[in-house]
Order: sequence, then C-alpha cells, then structure tokens
Amino acid sequence: MALIMKTTRFVEGQIDTFLDIVSDSAMMFQLAMEDYLLDRHEQFEMRLSQIRDNEHRADDLRVSIERFLYERTLIPENRGDVLAILENTDEVIDNIKDSMVQFSIEMPQIPEVMDDLWMQTTRASVASVEQLAFAVRSFFHDLAAVNNYIHKVHFFEREADQLGEKLRRLIFSLDIELAQKSQLRFFAIHIERISDYAQAVSDRLSIYAIKRQL
Amino acid sequence: MVFIYLFSGLFLGWSFGAKDTGNIFGAAVETKMITFRKAALIAAIFVTLGAVLDGSGPSQTLSRLGEVNALGGAFTVALAAAATITLMVRIGIPVATSQTLAGAIIGWNYFAGRLTDYSSLATIAGSWVLAPVLGAVFAAILFFLFRAYLGRVKIHLLEQDVWTRFWLVIIGAFGAYSLGANNIANIVGVFVPVNPFRDVQIPFFGTLTGVTQLFLLGSASIVVGIYTYSHKIMRTVGKNLFHLSPITALIAVLSEAIVLFIFSSKALYGLLVKVGLPPIPLVPVSASQIIVGSVLGIGLAKGGKNIRYNMLGKILFAWITAPVIAFFFSFVALFIIQNVFEQTVNLESHYVFDRYTIMQIKDSGLDSDHLSTVNGRVFDNENVLYKQLKESGNFTKEQLLQIIQITQIHPTLIDTKILEDQGLQVNFTQPQWDALTRLNGRIFRHKWLLAAELAKTPAWKKMQTVSKEADEKHNSELDSKLAILYRNLYHPEK
Repeated sequence: MALIMKTTRFVEGQIDTFLDIVSDSAMMFQLAMEDYLLDRHEQFEMRLSQIRDNEHRADDLRVSIERFLYERTLIPENRGDVLAILENTDEVIDNIKDSMVQFSIEMPQIPEVMDDLWMQTTRASVASVEQLAFAVRSFFHDLAAVNNYIHKVHFFEREADQLGEKLRRLIFSLDIELAQKSQLRFFAIHIERISDYAQAVSDRLSIYAIKRQL
Repeated sequence: MVFIYLFSGLFLGWSFGAKDTGNIFGAAVETKMITFRKAALIAAIFVTLGAVLDGSGPSQTLSRLGEVNALGGAFTVALAAAATITLMVRIGIPVATSQTLAGAIIGWNYFAGRLTDYSSLATIAGSWVLAPVLGAVFAAILFFLFRAYLGRVKIHLLEQDVWTRFWLVIIGAFGAYSLGANNIANIVGVFVPVNPFRDVQIPFFGTLTGVTQLFLLGSASIVVGIYTYSHKIMRTVGKNLFHLSPITALIAVLSEAIVLFIFSSKALYGLLVKVGLPPIPLVPVSASQIIVGSVLGIGLAKGGKNIRYNMLGKILFAWITAPVIAFFFSFVALFIIQNVFEQTVNLESHYVFDRYTIMQIKDSGLDSDHLSTVNGRVFDNENVLYKQLKESGNFTKEQLLQIIQITQIHPTLIDTKILEDQGLQVNFTQPQWDALTRLNGRIFRHKWLLAAELAKTPAWKKMQTVSKEADEKHNSELDSKLAILYRNLYHPEK
C-alpha cells in the first residue's frame, strides 16, 4: 500500500509540475510582452527560448502521466477526461509559444500610444490562463472549487475580448500604414485567442467536473 | 450413489458461484476498478476459506419450511433450485438462492403431502422485502455521508482511486468469506448426514475431516461457477440497472456488507441482548436482493433520473417468478425421479394417536376431548391429518401443528458413534455429550420422548419461562441441537 501510495504521489507531483509550467508560461508571456514593448529584444528572445523549453517539458510530463495512467489502469472512470484536460491545457502553452514565435519572426512596430491597452489585454488573457491552471488543479482535489475558477476564467476572457476590441479600434484609428494596421490587428487577435482557448478548455473542464461529482 | 446425488449440490454450487460473485464484485469489475480475473481469484480464495473455516451445518431456516427427509428428495430439490437459478443467470437477473430453494422445498411439501409452515414462509418472505429496502436506505445514507466527507477532506483524485480500489478488494473479500460461510450449508448441507468422505490425515497439517472435504468440494463448485459464468450478472449489477462510478460501487458493496452483517451477526445480537436493547432478528437475507436495493438507493439519492426502470421491473418480476418456477421444477422432477428412476424422494411419516401421544397432548395443556374421532388411528399423510383435526376440534393453527408434532412417529436410535463419524460431536457441550453417551442403544419412538429424556440432564433442560432474549437463545440452540439428533439418528421401524 505504501509503495502504491508513493508512486501515486509521484504522479500527483508530475501533474502539479505540469500545471506549474502552464502557469509559468502564461506569466512569462506577460513579461515577454513588457520586454517587447520596451524594446528589450534580447530579453524577449531569452523568454521565448524558456517558453520553448517549458513546452518540451510539459509535453514530456503529459506523455509520462498518460503512460502511467494507462499502464496502471488508474482512475478508469475519469482517465479519458483527465487525459483530455492535460492535452487541452498543454495546447494553451503551444498557443502562447506560437504567438511569441510570430512576434520574434515579424517584429511588428507597436506605436507607443498603444502600450497601455496592449498590456491590459495581455494581462487579462494571462489571468484567464492562470485561473484555468487553478481550475484544473482543483479538479483533482477540490471539485467544489472548480466552478469558482471557471467563473473567473470566463470573467477574464470577457475582459480580454473587450480590451481586444478597444485595441483593434485604436489600431484602425491611428494614422499609420494599412499594412501595419492589418499586421497589428493580427497580433491583437493572437493575444485574445489565448484567453479564448483557455475558456474553451474551461468549458470542457466544467463538463468533466459534473461527471466526477458523486 | 451418494456421489451421483452430490452432483445436484455441486450444480447448485456452480449456479450460486455464477450468480453471487456478480453481487459482490459486479460493481467493482464493471467500473474497471478490478479486473475480472483478480475479482474471480479473490472471490475463489475467500469463498473457499469461508466455507471451510466457518461453514455451518444444514441450513436451519429453510428446514422450518419443510424437512426434506430423503436424500433423493434433497437431490431433486437442490437440482430444481439450481436449474431455476441457472435459467435466471442466463437471462442475466440476480435472484436469491434461499428464495429459489424455498420454492423448491414447498414443491417437495406438496409432492410429499406435508404441511407448509406458512408463518415461517411469511417471516422469510418478509425478509425478501425488508432486505432490499434496508439495502437502499443504507446505500442512500452512505451516499450522502461519502459526498459530505469527500467534499471536506479534499483528497486527490489519484489517491481516492487507490483507496477505493483497496476497500473494494477488502470488502469484496469479506463479502466472499461470509458468502462461503453462510451459503455452503444451502449447497451441500443436506449431504452432511450422508457424507461419503472419511477423515484424512495430512502430515504436518493435521486431520482433514470428511465434512471439511465435503465443504471443500462444494466451494470448488462455487469457484467453477465464478470463473465460468459470473460475468453476466456482474454487468447487470454494475451497469444495466444504474451506471455506477467507482465510489458509488464502493457504497453499494459497503451497504450490502452492513446489511448482511446486521442480519447475520450473532455477536451483534449477543451484544444488543447484553446491553438490554431489542436485538435485530437473525433472518437469512439475500445478497442479491440487498445489492439490487443498494444500487437502487444510490440511484434514488442521485435524483432517480438515470435508473433503468425496465431493468428494475425485470428483476422484480424474476424475484416473484423464481420461487414459482422452482416450485414447478421441483414438483415435476420429484415425480420423475420417484416414478422413472425409482428413487426414494420422501420417507413416509406416520402419525399415531395412542395412549402415550394422547397423554402428551393433555400434558401440553391441549384439550383432548375433541380427539375422539382420531383416537386409536394412524395417519400416513400430514395434510389429511391436519384436515381431520381441523374438522373435529376447536383448535388453533398452532395447536394443530403441536398435535401433529406430538403424534409423528420418528424413531431415533441413540448411537454417538454415528455422530462422531460425521464430525458432529463439536456441536455439543461436554455435559450434553455425556448425557447422550449414557443413552447409547436406546430407541425413542417420538421426538418429544427423546427431548423429555434428555431434559432430565441440566445441560439439555430448556428454560420454562422465557423472560430474556438470552433464555430464548438458549432454547433455540437446544432445538437446533435436537434437530441434529433427529436428522442423523433416525432409525426407521421395520
């Protein structure tokens, strides 16, 4: 029994580490955006490289957890749901990384007047991902709290949507080239999409939580 | 011949194994918490241990319905019950073994012209209603307790999974043990008096008694039933009636274990008596019915939306039809075994009204003035005698049964060696055994004559005024010990 518990706690630790990585990646995205807006490009690239590492680590952890759950036939009733949660949450990191890669490749010129709104949108999107990580953590040991966090994910997603819309309106009100407007809109949508995806994952999570209820 | 007769007991054991492992491990296997192989292995080990270490003699409760007095009859009754259970298992519906056996025994009563004790039947039938209801109530209570507890302790999903598995195995093993201990009597108990096995000395181990070998064979038949045919019932319990999750599966099994314990624990009975509380009657209840009740209780506690009522209807219908089918199977099979295979399925009983029995009737406080129409007569059929007495006298039903018992000729030759050979000595205390030894070689024509002779010894004396539950327990223990003597030392008059 002690041996089984030891292995089980090891996997619990892996799940926790996985969720830490999700949360770290979201916060790192926020810091990277600040670096980008303040023209600290070297630091931005360093953060992109850290997020790439995070993505690899998250992938490895996810595969390891999945293998363990299948090999030991653990949580048969919820196994499919847990794997779906881990895979969907992993894609949130992919989304963050993809956005940063786009920044690194295209290096869009963001007018200084947009900095504040740009960061507000980023913070709202990042907050939705952080709340998603809390919700997933709660799914494992505090089912009653899941809905609370899901509610917060929805709140920050709505916030990101509203700020994103403001941002796009600001872009098209500025006196800049249409090509630049189009490019900036593309990046604004990229940031909004992070929270959209977090919301989609949280919606699925709420169904899994209902299934888990006694 | 005895070995051929044993086959019906083994057939009953097989059908029982196929059916009852489903009740214990069905929920665990269907929620994929335990593999079928593991469940079957645990069940096989613990059913065998229960039967061998804690198995009791012939079933007392069912014998109140009717005492099947010939081996051929016991064979046929077991065969009819086994055939009915197999039929129900094929359909995938869990029915109660005791319920089916009761139907088959009543079939024998009708065939042999014996009276059926309807008050005992009513008590037993009452438990068929009470057991699933209690199972449902306990499961619902446990469901709410578990929900509140799990909401408070915030245990990790993976750890919860480990603990659920652990308890499913422990409770399942405990259930399998009780199942073996309680039901081996239903399966091969009737063969104890004619046990063909002799004691075997095993080096470094000790003596393997004949009775233990018989129980071992019975449990082997249960194990074969578990491995070959229990999967279908598992699906009914774990999936078809109501979709169970691992935790609800644990609740269902736990509720089953609690109800079984309440109704079968002599220790709990004794404890309640000791502290002066009214005890819970020790009634045989069906594991099949409790588990169905438990699953239903959980379904209702969850709002009752996902219960498959058509499946529930099927199960309830089977519970009513199973004893009826067993009754007809038994009746027809007895006719065939007696007339085609020329086997004795019923030892004829005679009832005599001579001066001894009339005196005893008087001494028992019954009015013998109305017995003039039967005085000096001998009856060959219990039913005929019952009708005759009913017409001639002003007796209540209980008084009529008492008169029948007094007049029944049941010659008993005291021979303690027979009891020793069958390993039945363990049932008696030393003073009781000494009293029996002193009577060696004596024949008693009526059961009450033997009881009266033995009652001269304090160890065999019944409490005259039953003031406490303990006195009642003492008297019922003496009754069951006397029943062992009547059954095993029967010596037909030439």
